[in-house]
Amino acid sequence: MIELSKLPRELIAKLAEKGIAESDIKMCVRSDMNSDGVYCDNWLLVTEDDLIVIGGIKTVTPKKRLLGRMPDQSFVAAAAESERAGKGPAGAVKRMLRKYREAKSRVIYDFEQISYQYYPLANLKNFFIEELISTCRLCATMLDDENAKLEAERVERARAERKEREEREKRLAEAIRRAIEEGRPMPEVEKEENKQGFQQPEIKGEVVLITRFTNACRTDMRLFVKYINRYHETGELEFDEEDKKQELFCPKCGQRYADPERKICPRCVDKGKIIARFATFFAKYKAYVGISLMMLLLSSALGVIAPYVSSGFYYDQVLDKNGKFYGELLLVLGIVVGTRLLSMFISMVMGWVSAYISAHVVYDLKKVIFGAIERLSISFFTGRQTGGLMNQVNRDANNIYWFFVDGLPYFLVNIIQAIVVIVLMFMMEFWLTLLAVVVFPFVVMLIVWLFDHAEKLWAHQYSRSRELNSMLSDVLTGVRVVKAFSKEKREMARFKAHSDELANADRTLRRFENTAYPATSFLLYVGNIIVWLVGGWKVIKGEMTYGTLLVFVSYMNMIWSPMYFFVDMTNWASNCLNSMHRLMEIMDAVPEVAERENPVRMPNMQGRVTFRNVSFSYDKNRKVIDGISFTIEPGQIIGIVGHTGAGKSTLANLLIRLYDVAEGEILIDGVNIKDIAFEDLRKNIAIVSQETYLFSGTILDNIRYAKPDATYEEVIEAAKIAGAHSFIMKMPDAYLTRIGFGYKDLSGGERQRISIARAILRNPNILILDEATASMDTETERQIQAALSKLVVGRTTIMIAHRLSTLRDADYLIVIENGKMPEFGTHAELISKKGIYYNLYRLQLEALRSIGVAE
Amino acid sequence: MSDSRKSEANNRPASALRDVVKIVKLDDEVAAGNAVFYKNKDFLALRAKLENENGEREEKNWDRVFLHRAFPFDDPYEYISVLDKDQNEIGIIGDLRNIEPNMRKLIEEELERKYYTPTIKAIKQIKERYGFSHWKVETDIGPLQFTVQDTYRSIIRVTSTRLFVVDMNGNRYEIPDIHELDRKSYRMIELYL
Repeated sequence: MIELSKLPRELIAKLAEKGIAESDIKMCVRSDMNSDGVYCDNWLLVTEDDLIVIGGIKTVTPKKRLLGRMPDQSFVAAAAESERAGKGPAGAVKRMLRKYREAKSRVIYDFEQISYQYYPLANLKNFFIEELISTCRLCATMLDDENAKLEAERVERARAERKEREEREKRLAEAIRRAIEEGRPMPEVEKEENKQGFQQPEIKGEVVLITRFTNACRTDMRLFVKYINRYHETGELEFDEEDKKQELFCPKCGQRYADPERKICPRCVDKGKIIARFATFFAKYKAYVGISLMMLLLSSALGVIAPYVSSGFYYDQVLDKNGKFYGELLLVLGIVVGTRLLSMFISMVMGWVSAYISAHVVYDLKKVIFGAIERLSISFFTGRQTGGLMNQVNRDANNIYWFFVDGLPYFLVNIIQAIVVIVLMFMMEFWLTLLAVVVFPFVVMLIVWLFDHAEKLWAHQYSRSRELNSMLSDVLTGVRVVKAFSKEKREMARFKAHSDELANADRTLRRFENTAYPATSFLLYVGNIIVWLVGGWKVIKGEMTYGTLLVFVSYMNMIWSPMYFFVDMTNWASNCLNSMHRLMEIMDAVPEVAERENPVRMPNMQGRVTFRNVSFSYDKNRKVIDGISFTIEPGQIIGIVGHTGAGKSTLANLLIRLYDVAEGEILIDGVNIKDIAFEDLRKNIAIVSQETYLFSGTILDNIRYAKPDATYEEVIEAAKIAGAHSFIMKMPDAYLTRIGFGYKDLSGGERQRISIARAILRNPNILILDEATASMDTETERQIQAALSKLVVGRTTIMIAHRLSTLRDADYLIVIENGKMPEFGTHAELISKKGIYYNLYRLQLEALRSIGVAE
Repeated sequence: MSDSRKSEANNRPASALRDVVKIVKLDDEVAAGNAVFYKNKDFLALRAKLENENGEREEKNWDRVFLHRAFPFDDPYEYISVLDKDQNEIGIIGDLRNIEPNMRKLIEEELERKYYTPTIKAIKQIKERYGFSHWKVETDIGPLQFTVQDTYRSIIRVTSTRLFVVDMNGNRYEIPDIHELDRKSYRMIELYL
């Protein structure tokens, strides 16, 4: 069973009453509303032939209420007694007794049904989700019996065809593999017929609403739609590996992940495991870590000894007449200075060692992360902002750095010292220590509260200052608009309001800090006062030496001073954990587009490109490409036209596998591109895209990027074809002109020409020009096209453009609209069809005519 | 520019925006008997006789229409766009209160379902962890739990007292007036104001 949501036991029991066994259910999912929009538990269950929608409320009878209905305890006890005696209570008592026992252990759930609906699956096709604002609705097309029969026949035919084709392709892939192994020429690919057969006859039906649900169920519902539609087409209901991989629930506690993209369950994050994983970065520097730890221990020990020597020992043994070292000032001061020097030396060594380790660890960390980032598919980057990502990585790495270098060692030293000192204090003066430590829990509680409150105030102040800043930058960037509408006064007022709020927030924060922190210090001081008072009294009575008292006081301060630090440590640690987690996600992210193991090598492609029923969407909901099929024969030029955002560039991205198709397949020379080695795929295909990106460096470097070993002559040839040579030669440094940030700025057309040259130099078998000439004037475009048209002979070329004149040389034109392909054919064919292409053509022609340029 | 042409330009009255574009006011059309909203099974449907480009009236039927508020947080009953299933606008309901009660009920029901927004009555807990905040709240439909990503930005502050919290799935929860919340709840949300 595909259990998209966990089927509760209560429902299974309910279904059994209706004669539906758990084993009959092939797929189930929960939606949180029924078709009337009532918030409840609504279950969609798929059996062999039916879809059952059962809505209900999970009723909970808590233990207490159940117990209320129980007979009094003595009766229960008597009944239990009679049971033990082997008499056995009567039916009613027995049931009650059982319920009572259950109630003792848990709460009783029941599923109270409020709606029930049933649909024969044969009559439902094309499930889809309509997203409203906070809710969505699941709809499907309902066919009447006659159409359902037609549809069943169509599905039957399609299944048979698919099976046959798959077998044929398998044979072909095998043949190619063998041909390459044995060094024979490539086998001929049979031509695909039915080029025009991509349009299926429409089977009419009526849209019905199956259920509603809030956005919370969207992910599950999308999977449900995917599988149920597939079930309709193929008759199979198998859970895909990729969806299995995309676990939606925490394996430990079974709760849903907050963000399916970010698999952390805040309840069961294994902190130990994360820290252990990052600790491996330190493992390489074992020796240094060892030294560092030793130094840590030494400095803790010195920290404890130092006050003893400098105060206790000094007063009691050196200054006191009865002391063993009375008068030996120099000796003792020597010891004091010695320990100081030693501790200075230790802290210096610690600094060196930790600087060494941390610099290397951060370097290693960034290397691993950058490596992981490079491995990932493009969708990883489009999902987040790349600049933000790098910033985040840097910040996270630094967070970890500071935690391990600054936070952890300091924390360890202080914690060890504090424990040792407290033990020592108890050994020295048990009751006095107890008295002094009495304030301890209060201070800790107070500090925790202070931090909480201060954090709130800080957050408040931070958000106010962020608002002010964003308002300021907003107004300053838009100063033209402000002036044009003469809204200076309004903006001033807005600024004043924001500024006042920030000032208020600031004032509250400072006032709090300036009262709270002295107050805590005073509380700590109370502890000291107690020690001075009781200790002083003891010294006067002669029960304690003056030196011991001094040691005592300095020990107290040793516990108190890192107090703030301890309390803040939890914050610091959780920040660091968060950073580690984020980095771990990047390290563990799996590339979505992955090369197959043992891929087919195709060093030299013929260039037959086939799209078969290709569908694709960037965000899983809106289909950008929807069931597109076409074939380009080797050496053909094909033009793709359509409105902006129709999905033209997406086709190119799919062909070079920046993304993988969601449904259908793309074949090159009869081989699925998912089976082709990345290296061969990208060596054979070159793309000049709309967004030209030139790296900073010389023009030569940029052109040669595709083929680093190209000769100067090849570079010049490529530049000439691309129409770049003449403007490059006008620059003082010609091909060695530096471009990029802070250097020569090129115009859009110039950049495009350089990137065309880059693609040409690659000498690909398949060339994709995605609006490659859009930023050029028509004359330059013509020139480049004249040169290109000689180049593209024998190469499969895909040209994407919305300016139709660009596509004059195309053998075939594909019209894309809303992800679909309504028209396909030669220019003449499409004109005579009087459809979308004809309209586009007419509009562009009219535009020319209106300025007096009739063709 | 010569004087005569200048005066000519001055004499011509400036065209008002409404002369340039026309908003199809469906509430007026309903009142005039040119449009009827009705229920087609579970969907809201519309049958209307509206003016086409040439100014002629033409009867059309849409068996599934979508509603979309133009100013969702201000007045929930004003300026509701009515769209066909390809998301092309058929017209705008200027004020829902102009429509007769039965039809109005249908439309309100549809809006209610589309903009399903539980009202938060009390906040039991907000726990901030790993960049998400986990909320436990009491609402008009019972206790709910949800998770908010980037909490500060996920709160829509309509006025200084009225808030919408958008959880990471895109579900919305309204707090009509933060001062109506009990003290404990207010304390918890104070941080994000």
